[in-house]
Amino acid sequence: MDIFNIYLPIAGIEFNALLLVLIGFCVGVLGGFFGVGGGWIVTPALNIFGFHMAFAIGTDLANIFGQSIGATKKHHKMGNIDWKLGTISIVASIVGLEAGSQVVLILEKAGDVGSIVRWCYLFLMFGLSSLMFYDYISSRPKKTVSSQDQSEKPQDSKPKRNKGSIADKLHRINLPPMISFPASGIKSVSLWIVLFIFLFTGFLSGFLGVGGGFIRMPALVYLIGVPTAIAVGTDLMSVLFSGAYGCLTYSLKGRVEIIAAFFMLIGASIGAQIGATAVKYIKGYGIRLLFAAMIAFAGCSIALEQIYKITGNPSYQSAAGIVLMGTAVSMTLIIAVRLAAGFRRERRIRS
Amino acid sequence: MSFRSIFVISALSIMLVSALPFFERSEGNAIASEKQETALTMKADTNHLSGINLFIARLYNEDRVLYATMVTLVMAVLGTFLAFVTDLILKALGLEVSRISHRE
Repeated sequence: MDIFNIYLPIAGIEFNALLLVLIGFCVGVLGGFFGVGGGWIVTPALNIFGFHMAFAIGTDLANIFGQSIGATKKHHKMGNIDWKLGTISIVASIVGLEAGSQVVLILEKAGDVGSIVRWCYLFLMFGLSSLMFYDYISSRPKKTVSSQDQSEKPQDSKPKRNKGSIADKLHRINLPPMISFPASGIKSVSLWIVLFIFLFTGFLSGFLGVGGGFIRMPALVYLIGVPTAIAVGTDLMSVLFSGAYGCLTYSLKGRVEIIAAFFMLIGASIGAQIGATAVKYIKGYGIRLLFAAMIAFAGCSIALEQIYKITGNPSYQSAAGIVLMGTAVSMTLIIAVRLAAGFRRERRIRS
Repeated sequence: MSFRSIFVISALSIMLVSALPFFERSEGNAIASEKQETALTMKADTNHLSGINLFIARLYNEDRVLYATMVTLVMAVLGTFLAFVTDLILKALGLEVSRISHRE
């Protein structure tokens, strides 16, 4: 594989260009499909293969910015972006993020913050995936009935929300000013509730040091009641803006390896288009099930990393890397296969 | 897609990923590992560089603001261009997208 090795002048290392394209492709598919940046895959992956951590984060952010342009455009075309909700999410998330990072700084002075953050990360990932699995299992009978109804509905109809769901309860809180999100099919919700949710998700991303896509997407679905595909598109819009800011600020700090970002973007742009297109062929519950599986495996990887930190046994660290990359590759393949199957089915119906 | 298919794909992926560390043992990445031990420097080494690599390294060393602007613009332009090209290819394959109905 040495013929694909290229020299990266800023990081000062040689790296396999094919590997960069492949990593980019996987993260592009996942980003376009789930509306996440995918930094939790790329950063450790680049680090495992020899990138300094600071360069891994900066290069990843540059790639996220580039790949989310195309994916956001595609989601916009499919009507999956609620611009009003997205704008509120960006503003509130920035405030929350700043608060989260300040808490980390305070904890840092008090002692070992790394361990606290990792435990919180672990708790959040397993908690979220359990909630989403539970939701999938408990809604399966309803899904069968509603899928029959869906086939008779006109194109523009919005899905009905479950009565008694958390989102439904939050919508009933009458705390003025009330705001509507027609693109998401939300007639009225208190602005304070929406702001509080995004402040909280922003706080978590600042505290955990992540982009926050994997926190915001379920929050949009379960707390605000946004249809899954719109949650993916709207979250991707936020990722685009945070990626642009991250790309600029990390380049100013000299931590972006442009040649590596270039090769990753080739794979990521193709992958992001494929991922975004796949949303068309997979129902909301399917997306949520795959998302739950993905964060559960990512949680396992973090658990292995935590065991490594406690025991010092490097095998656990290798296992963490394998689980993480295995999850990314598996999910990419599943999404590609589902896209191909959906496309074949559509062609059969057309002909 | 059945659970069996998902299991088979997952197993194949894990096998594939398990083989990835062999990339790490290549000569190029061995250099990477050695370099990783050194501290991060804010200057790129321009010795033995030529062409585009030399241009990028010089820009990085001499004008960080211009470098950051170039990186952000290149990512934006390249991202848009590649998305456009991929979109054309997907359209040619029949995978055209339009406004979709939101099915839960």
